Amino acid sequence: MMASMMLLIPLSLLMLGAAVWAFFWAVDRGQFDNLEQPSRLALEEDPVPSADAKKDPDPRS
Amino acid sequence: MLLDGHWTSESQGEGHVVFNAEGIHCGNCARSIRRSLSELAGVHRVEVNVVNNRVSVDWDTSKLALGKILGQVSALGFKPVPLVGEAAARSQQAERRLALKRIGLAALGSMQLMMYTVALYAGALQGIDEGIAEYLRWTCLVITTPVLFYSGAPILRGALADLRRRVLGMDVTVSLALLLAFFASTWNTVRNAGEVYFDSVAMFILLLLVGRFVEMRGRHQAARVTDALAKALPATAQRIRTDNEVVERVPLAELRVGDLLRVNTGQVIPVDGTLTSDGALIDESLLSGESLPQRRVQHDAIPGGAVNAGHALKLRVSRLPGDSTLHELVHLLERAQSERPRLGLAAERMASWFVIRILVLTAIVGVSWQFFDPTRAFPAMLAVLVATCPCALSLATPAAIAAASARLAKLGVLVMRADAVEGLATVDTVMLDKTGTLTVGSPHITRVDTSGALDATEALRIAAALEAGSQHPLALAFREHQDAAWRCDDAREIAGQGIEGNVSGRRWRIGQPGITLTDDRGRSASFEVADPLREDAGAATAALSALGLRLVLLSGDRHEAVQRVADTLGIASAHAGLRPADKLQRLREAQAAGRRVLMLGDGINDGPVLAAADVSMAMGRGSSIAHAAGDLLLLRESLQSLPEAIGVARRALQIVQQNLRWALIYNLAAVPIAALGFMPPWVAAIGMSASSLLVVMNARRAGTSPTAGVVP
Repeated sequence: MMASMMLLIPLSLLMLGAAVWAFFWAVDRGQFDNLEQPSRLALEEDPVPSADAKKDPDPRS
Repeated sequence: MLLDGHWTSESQGEGHVVFNAEGIHCGNCARSIRRSLSELAGVHRVEVNVVNNRVSVDWDTSKLALGKILGQVSALGFKPVPLVGEAAARSQQAERRLALKRIGLAALGSMQLMMYTVALYAGALQGIDEGIAEYLRWTCLVITTPVLFYSGAPILRGALADLRRRVLGMDVTVSLALLLAFFASTWNTVRNAGEVYFDSVAMFILLLLVGRFVEMRGRHQAARVTDALAKALPATAQRIRTDNEVVERVPLAELRVGDLLRVNTGQVIPVDGTLTSDGALIDESLLSGESLPQRRVQHDAIPGGAVNAGHALKLRVSRLPGDSTLHELVHLLERAQSERPRLGLAAERMASWFVIRILVLTAIVGVSWQFFDPTRAFPAMLAVLVATCPCALSLATPAAIAAASARLAKLGVLVMRADAVEGLATVDTVMLDKTGTLTVGSPHITRVDTSGALDATEALRIAAALEAGSQHPLALAFREHQDAAWRCDDAREIAGQGIEGNVSGRRWRIGQPGITLTDDRGRSASFEVADPLREDAGAATAALSALGLRLVLLSGDRHEAVQRVADTLGIASAHAGLRPADKLQRLREAQAAGRRVLMLGDGINDGPVLAAADVSMAMGRGSSIAHAAGDLLLLRESLQSLPEAIGVARRALQIVQQNLRWALIYNLAAVPIAALGFMPPWVAAIGMSASSLLVVMNARRAGTSPTAGVVP
């Protein structure tokens, strides 16, 4: 009994730590910055590529 | 803020400025800005970031004025915008992320703690191996420590700040309960005897943080909108030099009273001034709500923030940007926003009074127990602190308000300030603005009269073709009637007369008197342009009246236009031609007569009235400034949501009152039991949590759709 507890409780603490780390990571990556618009993004029209963008194949150049 | 013009830094003749150039969307744009600015004499370094549209320039201030740099960027077709708003947005994002992390840690920690605690409670009843119990308590301590000092940091810091200001806020008693419970539990864990209250600590923190998060979101939303307004003013002005009539572009901060400015068609007038051109057409809809552009003559005063709807004009600066009309309005709004909500203030005062009583009571309990049984003094004191913890009491309102807010959001009504729902439930008078609120807010053709062999559709198409290239605001009314088959390639605007051009082989002219279309063979059509009512305005006003609300129409527009709207909608009380100050006066009169007023408005001129009303609602699509002042924001172009929203708010208020009664009964019953030592702290904690839970569950009902029965 004691032995299994000795193993399982630290394990639960590790899982808690992992969950907290994953949540913090997601928050820092901006996953929760905007909870309203992205869900509708798929329904919107793609932006029409502008004339300038066509001339310049790599917009980041 | 942009209006002050301070967005540069300078040291020893070397200036540094970072600004956003709106309109950069590719590498070419960035390259052209970099090349063009580098060519200016005195510019040392130019960096353009195409991802965030940011331009950073170092330059020699003795050789080059900032206005030249900004002017160059404008001339390339980009709009220089100061970074202030963006800096604010970044700090908001950081604040939101930190708050989310705190909530996340508290939530995950509470869940885990609850499992260990259930094991401990079960063990206390059924018997548990003392070694395991000790092990579990230490584990709880490990989890609770970061929850208290990371997640709970804002609460503890708030208490510290309260103590420094020598006031007793809610944070003080909450922190005291948290710290006492935590350190007592830690002590009991170390000496391996007595109770632990770690789970109560974590859960308490979680509940408090969620409430604060909801409040923070509303605050951010309001700040974002004020920023949008600041962007409406240009960063530079075109000054005409007196010696040689040359037009130069200068930052607003460099303007002086008496300077002569040039404002092109469609541009925003940067400062208050007097007109020196013969005449001008000015669109003041942002400032006054007046839907149609106004004609101004020489020596008329023109407010900054208005739009030049006619030809390029000249004006003389009469007031510095910092004193301009728009600036004053922004200032007024910022002050209104920074003030704490009335109910919040009352709650704080009440909490302070409540806290003193709790502390006194706890001390009395502690001292009394010293005489009977000193070993039971601490558990009894803690039980009193936990049981009286105004948790259910403090949750009673925000939980119901949050549920109602979510429900309102589904109706398209955003709650910007926490006490807006309470305000909405108790109003008995609704004051409405006309332009953009009851009406659509933009001109439409409402009638076409034709003479000769011309039908109405044809006349509209021809007029639309002529007006297609026009900057005139009334041209907007024709835009929806444009047709590719009817085109005019040689449209020419004749100042003060109208537009002339060839459409399908005939010579047409549109313009004075009124809006009349004529051709060279005497065929003609006259158009009537007006701002039509919203489709559901009638249904909405009828529903509001049915809820027992008195409707008052306040408008800055002409008397006939206002009266027509009032007659159509059956609004008995209508006032026309009101300036912002007059509207405020009407509002104050109603309030003095004991009325609780909901102001529904749109337009910057409503800002002060919206701020002064008991509760205010701004139309979301209207000019952006109104949002900032509104307690509520109507996002849909539908007034039908308004009566429904009032129904939801009334129901929420009923639930709040029910909750408060329950929480009060619980606290009154629990305190004597705890003080007399019949309640171990863990029972107090369960009682506290259970009453909180009951309150929260009850509050959720505020989010369900209201039935006709609950509207009193």
